[in-house]
Amino acid sequence: MKLDPRTKMVMAICLSSLALLYDTPDRLLLLLAATVALLLLFRFNPGAVWGYLKPFLSLMLFLFVIQSIFSPGGAVLLAAGPVPLVTSQGLSTGASVVLRIMVVTASAMLFTTFSSRDFILGLVQWKVPYELAFMVAIAIRFLPVFRDEMINVVTAVQLRGVELKKVPWGKKTAMYRRLFFPIVFGAMLKAQQLAVAMEARGFRAYPRRTYLRRLDLRRADYMSMLLFLSATLTLMGADVMVK
Amino acid sequence: MTFLELSRVVFSYPRKMKPALTGIDLSLDKDGVTAIVGPNGSGKTTLTKLLIGVLRPTEGEVRLEGRPVEEYSLAEIGRRIGYVFQNPDLQLFCSTVAEEVGFGLANRGCEPAYVQEKVAFYLDYFELTAYRDVFPLYLSQGEKQRLAIAAVLANEPEFLILDEPTIGLDACRKKNLEDYLKKVARLGSGMILVSHDEPFVDKMAERVVTLANGRIQSDSGRKVNAAYEA
Repeated sequence: MKLDPRTKMVMAICLSSLALLYDTPDRLLLLLAATVALLLLFRFNPGAVWGYLKPFLSLMLFLFVIQSIFSPGGAVLLAAGPVPLVTSQGLSTGASVVLRIMVVTASAMLFTTFSSRDFILGLVQWKVPYELAFMVAIAIRFLPVFRDEMINVVTAVQLRGVELKKVPWGKKTAMYRRLFFPIVFGAMLKAQQLAVAMEARGFRAYPRRTYLRRLDLRRADYMSMLLFLSATLTLMGADVMVK
Repeated sequence: MTFLELSRVVFSYPRKMKPALTGIDLSLDKDGVTAIVGPNGSGKTTLTKLLIGVLRPTEGEVRLEGRPVEEYSLAEIGRRIGYVFQNPDLQLFCSTVAEEVGFGLANRGCEPAYVQEKVAFYLDYFELTAYRDVFPLYLSQGEKQRLAIAAVLANEPEFLILDEPTIGLDACRKKNLEDYLKKVARLGSGMILVSHDEPFVDKMAERVVTLANGRIQSDSGRKVNAAYEA
């Protein structure tokens, strides 16, 4: 199904907004199913979503456990004497947090179904300043670069003989904090170099930019946007009314 | 004795139709200097990454001292094989140059005095003493290259794999590296050099393996190199 990048952006924003609003696992699960169905419609391989989520599994498990323990309410499922450890409400909150991350990640995959050029063009045609649109596109493009950099650093550390899996938990936090610093610093250096390279190639040399191509919203785009926006607003309104 | 061995190795990168390496059979002894040469994209770096277990073969097997590489953790391999990446930026992760050189030793639990002594030696040998407190990514390309090599050598590995070690080095620094590597080789450490620097390969290598289009095109076998004669 071929749609304008702006339509897909609206879809992603609608899905993410609902994911942030919903707080029950059943509704979030339905939302996840709808997002995956949408990705399939755009011929996106759902296995790739799993690939993106995999590195965050330990974080999701951690959040699930923390939320399960520290969100009291409902029936007590596990207790240590008089202290309730796991409650039905805790489990529900934990599952909701994990599902929310999955929906936001899956809906963000919609951005990968069009090029960064089209992304910038779409935003500019919506009167977003070019510099801002370009900045957002660069930020999105750099995300996989940071992921690769993290993998490289972890590989390099292990190749110097450090068994990361065997580092005690206390030291592990300190180790990862130390590794995180050069990645952030390296990112800042890259940003500086990128800025110089862009200026050297005449970025912002002229106040007005011209574009070779124009994106055109078709009937299917308007219909899809209308459907998504009205459905999202209705669902949000219904949620507020129920609460 | 064979230290590293590749048997009928095929490797394809994901979503690539053509394999990067096909039908690779290669045995490497624990000593001796082997150069892997070939044009860009012939699979040299891929082959070295398979040897250290960073990449897993699509078909065939890679063995380290008779055991499949998969059975070792990356850290176990790293303690035995020192690997210098083609791009030094990929392997520098500490906050200072001195910390980078001493990282491996300090994390292996060596005495701080010993680590300091080694760090001072390698910083001096690779002319990096003036930068000991500098953030590694602030260095020039040649300095980063020297630091990456120093950091790996300081770990005292049994075997070395150096991917394009002479890139960014001036003639004087290249000579220093050559002298040091010859000394390491004379002491019995084996190494693989991946390089396009023909004069460097001629001076260093006892065996030259040529790759082309992901296959071994020729293997000179081990020959006597006067540089290692007593």
